[in-house]
Amino acid sequence: MKGFTLWFTGMSGAGKSTIAEKIEEILLERGMKVEVLDGDVVRTNLSKGLGFSKEDRDINIRRIGFVSHILTRNDVVAIAAAISPYREIRDENRKLIGRFVEVHCKCPLDTLKERDVKGLYAKAARGEIKEFTGVSDPYEEPLKPEVIVDTDKESVEESVAKILRTLELMGYIPPSGEEDEYTAEEEEKIKSRLQDLGYI
Amino acid sequence: MALFRKKKKKRACVIGLDGVPHSLISRFCEEGVTPALAKILASGSLRKMKVTLPEISSVSWPSFMTGSDPGTHGIFGFIDLRPGTYNMFFPSFRDLKAPALWDKLGMDKKTSVVINQPSTYPARKVEGILISGFVAIDLVKAIYPPSYISKIKAMDYQIDIDTMRSRQDHDFCFSELDRTLAGREKAYQLLWKDLDWDYFELVITGTDRLQHYMWNVLEDPSHANYHRALDYYRKVDALVGKIYERFCDESGHERDGDGFFLLSDHGFCQIKQEVYLNTWLEKEGYITYNKPSPQTVADIAEGTKAFVLDPGRIYINRKGKYPLGAVGEDEARDLIEEIRDKLLRLHFEDETVMENVSLRDEVYSGPFSGEGPDLIATAHHGYDLKGSVAKKVIFGRTDLEGMHTWDDAFFWTAGDAGEHVHITGLSDMILNKVG
Repeated sequence: MKGFTLWFTGMSGAGKSTIAEKIEEILLERGMKVEVLDGDVVRTNLSKGLGFSKEDRDINIRRIGFVSHILTRNDVVAIAAAISPYREIRDENRKLIGRFVEVHCKCPLDTLKERDVKGLYAKAARGEIKEFTGVSDPYEEPLKPEVIVDTDKESVEESVAKILRTLELMGYIPPSGEEDEYTAEEEEKIKSRLQDLGYI
Repeated sequence: MALFRKKKKKRACVIGLDGVPHSLISRFCEEGVTPALAKILASGSLRKMKVTLPEISSVSWPSFMTGSDPGTHGIFGFIDLRPGTYNMFFPSFRDLKAPALWDKLGMDKKTSVVINQPSTYPARKVEGILISGFVAIDLVKAIYPPSYISKIKAMDYQIDIDTMRSRQDHDFCFSELDRTLAGREKAYQLLWKDLDWDYFELVITGTDRLQHYMWNVLEDPSHANYHRALDYYRKVDALVGKIYERFCDESGHERDGDGFFLLSDHGFCQIKQEVYLNTWLEKEGYITYNKPSPQTVADIAEGTKAFVLDPGRIYINRKGKYPLGAVGEDEARDLIEEIRDKLLRLHFEDETVMENVSLRDEVYSGPFSGEGPDLIATAHHGYDLKGSVAKKVIFGRTDLEGMHTWDDAFFWTAGDAGEHVHITGLSDMILNKVG
């Protein structure tokens, strides 16, 4: 199988890492080579020292994009899970990587504030975190992502199924069910019909 | 009056009229041939629409259903070559590399009814029902879910007309057109009420068939078959009108058809000349064959630099990509420009043949662009490009009368369609109407 990049974008707490982990497990089970580039983890190594200004955020996302590009080129499935708030940089990565599937983890801000698993929204509200996406920093939604998962309405399993189905339909992973090709007899009939209409 | 009225579903209904050009539908509405369509099109936005290249159903419908061009959905023609070979194959639905709009709806648990959708054979799982259209062969493989096979078969549903006999025998063609249209109507009647659908689509392909065989008839009121041909469009018009009225009845007339869409997948015009591009390449010295009467591009000889697949897809015979590859990467760039320049100067009598010859990257975007042709030729209306390797002349005619056009398809919506409409933009527009 050829490599591709599955790029999760969405605000903090929207479910990117959770869904990415599930997808990783399933693709590994299906015998694929998979690497996850989680935004929180990347900031402790590849992008250590970078802050949250627009410039630093852009550098971080470009770095994840570059590594994803190399992995994809070497037939690895790269799963990037980072807020990646700016559309322009995501689209830049799409262009660089080519085989790029964007997943928008969508969740209303009010729900995220309620969830607040990491306590970050509360801190941002108290002004303890500056430049917090969705609160004091912008999040630019993708205009045409390959998949939108509404994590306030769907279960993790439903979101995972949606993503896997899209990957199957795009031909990036083999379909789970058998689908027939044309029989030799059908090929002859198709050829004849196409000739009758002047298409071949 | 009930205190609480159940909120009506936001639904979308699409009627596809295969191959019907904007110019023809406008004419028929003006001349009173299609009164129901005239009434519908009198409001909302009727637009001339451009489609992806090449302008054939096997590419246009995937572009419609996926909202993307061949560089993303991966279908470049009715035929393609197996990677690393000159062996031809017919891409099927499983070769489509992007989700169709009903796949996206299905992921959100929305139900679709899709009848006679070309380029979806063999039918695959959908949330709802799918009946594949052209080039479907076997109804058993053309219908999902299988529980509908016997019901559809029982209504004398026919996937397509008998094209072989219809091409020669136009009386027979008219009876076949009527029979297939009747089958579509029965399928619509059954499935409209059988499922609580969110998206309904019906494609009528008889229009394309009639136009291939009898476009000249449509332009000649003195032709013996003129009124008979127009009668077919009257029947199509009556069916579209019926569906539109029912949609409005159920959605609420105050919505003025909001959510109802009409479209064609390409336009049509009269053939002046067929243009055999492989013969042109041969005469220009770019292609040689290993036998006197070649049948396919698999019969090319060593040293061949380029070849054509229908209709106007030009491939450079690259080293490393094809078994007899003769062109290195550096040479390819110059060769592409050379062929492009020469093709743009190709004449028939005192007319230039080509409207444009595009580079791959000018017309395709997405991860599968590299699988497309190096050059895509589009001819002026009337010049029908062909990839036959059997012809000995560059220009010729057969008994076919009509050919496809890329810039004269049509689209209609009750809402504002914007000024410029492209077939890849429809899917999002329709998805936005289903809620």
